[in-house]
Amino acid sequence: MEAKFESQGFGKRLKSMLKVDFRRMFTTPLLYIMLGVSFVIPILVLVMTTMMGEPADPVAVTSAVTPHPGVDATAPMEAFENVWQIIGSVSGDAASGMAGGMSLTTMCNINLVYFLAAVLVCLFVSEDFRSGYAKNLFTVRAKKTDYVISKTLVGFVGGALMLLCFFLGGMIGGAVAGLPFETEATAGELVACIVSKVFLMAVFVAIFLAVSVAAKQKSWLSIIGSLGASMLLFSMIPMITPLDSNLVNIVMCFAGGALFSVGLGAVSNLILNKTSLV
Amino acid sequence: MNAIEIRDLTKNFGEKQAVCGLDMTVPVGAIYGFIGENGSGKSTTEKMICGLLPLSGGQIKLFGRDYTDGDVRAKVGVLIEAPGCFPNYSVWNNLMLQAANLSIENAEDEVRKVLKLVRMEGAASNKYKNCSLGMKQRIGIAMALLGNPKLLVLDEPINGLDADGMRIMREVLVGLAKDHGCTVLISSHILGELEKIATHYGIIRGGKMIKEMTAEELDAGCRTYVALQTKELSRAKAILSCRYSRVAEENEYLRVYDAEAPEAIVSLLYKNGILVSEIKTAKIGLEEYYIDLMNEKEGR
Repeated sequence: MEAKFESQGFGKRLKSMLKVDFRRMFTTPLLYIMLGVSFVIPILVLVMTTMMGEPADPVAVTSAVTPHPGVDATAPMEAFENVWQIIGSVSGDAASGMAGGMSLTTMCNINLVYFLAAVLVCLFVSEDFRSGYAKNLFTVRAKKTDYVISKTLVGFVGGALMLLCFFLGGMIGGAVAGLPFETEATAGELVACIVSKVFLMAVFVAIFLAVSVAAKQKSWLSIIGSLGASMLLFSMIPMITPLDSNLVNIVMCFAGGALFSVGLGAVSNLILNKTSLV
Repeated sequence: MNAIEIRDLTKNFGEKQAVCGLDMTVPVGAIYGFIGENGSGKSTTEKMICGLLPLSGGQIKLFGRDYTDGDVRAKVGVLIEAPGCFPNYSVWNNLMLQAANLSIENAEDEVRKVLKLVRMEGAASNKYKNCSLGMKQRIGIAMALLGNPKLLVLDEPINGLDADGMRIMREVLVGLAKDHGCTVLISSHILGELEKIATHYGIIRGGKMIKEMTAEELDAGCRTYVALQTKELSRAKAILSCRYSRVAEENEYLRVYDAEAPEAIVSLLYKNGILVSEIKTAKIGLEEYYIDLMNEKEGR
């Protein structure tokens, strides 16, 4: 003989979990700290490199990045020539940037936000386990899928907001530094670039979430693990989302985001089902 | 029907077997006292019942359904180790979050109701991190009570509670079982408190259930002892120890566990020049029963 229990549909369950997670996300100081950092970094980078450096020149860049005997180590810091350099590089430059190693403009740009998003997602998830909230949650909710979907969406929104803050900070920083706004890319291509970067965030969030649920309350482990796991993809961001992006880039990033979210979501679900939740 | 039915439950942590072939039956509406030493597997079993630990083997059924069934799990309230609350949130917000997780429609009313039940209405706006240990335990109970659970799993819920807190807890749990038919699985080392409310008991040792019984069966199985008071406690103990196998001193009383009749003890002591000022017969409680059982299992 079985007792009768009220059944809750997937939609109702997900809705209530999303409500809780979004409420938590928008009331945690962590989000506002990360948004603030994302906003301030481009301003500082653009203003300081413009103040301290000169427009990039190949010899100076080489000596500043990889000093060696015979080259003046006190060469001026490489500076941004254009505001859009902090948002992305055009297709050709992105490819050559990959081949030519790292420089200030390829390192200190909007792609940093993907690393910052790792901190946001990892701390947010580890707090669930550290506080014991996950214990309460998983006792009354047998389906771990709800948790994974909700956390992916919340992390994605948080990451997307950070990208937008960085973009805004870049524009303000560029204006303050007096950098030119002219670019070869059209307005449509710039919008496509930003949209692609936003969709690409889903790929990273899926990775961060899978690592976080495996590391549980060990936030330091989840952050290090997330950064390590996403390191390879990080170098590909400029190529996948160049300044002169188009619909193909958007579709590619959207498909990648969806595939990673579903695939790694299934992995996260498996981890939650097969490991201790306390 | 049983609220919890466990068959051949096993949990391994690497080489170590924390729970080995445990069987357990908790009838609906029972207050089931789950007793065992530290590390005997109580918490591990409770965590598995709540779906917080994957099983290595065996089967758990809650109200006749598999324990992974989402509908039945929505009706389980839990307090294991510590209440799962965010330290920087207020008591109210923590409870509201759990209410939202449970999709409770009148969340505010429900939260008010459970706070009133555990006498914590006045502390709703306090930050959780500023609450005392006793208050935190009560908040944990309030959280477990959200959504009118049919099964409560409580691990050491009375730890850190003052006398009044324990009384409130007793009243709440007995009221839930009697008035709402809620089943309570409660583990505690404070056996005296447990004895006041439990209707059923399960004693676990080394990951195995060694005894399951009702409160009536415990009562019938508990031996009587003679308790006496005298001015010469030590000498009386020495004399009685020669005749009886188990004589213990407790709270200024001398307890003789295997005495056939109080008269024989009084007579023996009188012959040795000791006057007895007070004598009574009583039954051993859960604590002594438990200690006896453990000693028996250890072959002492």
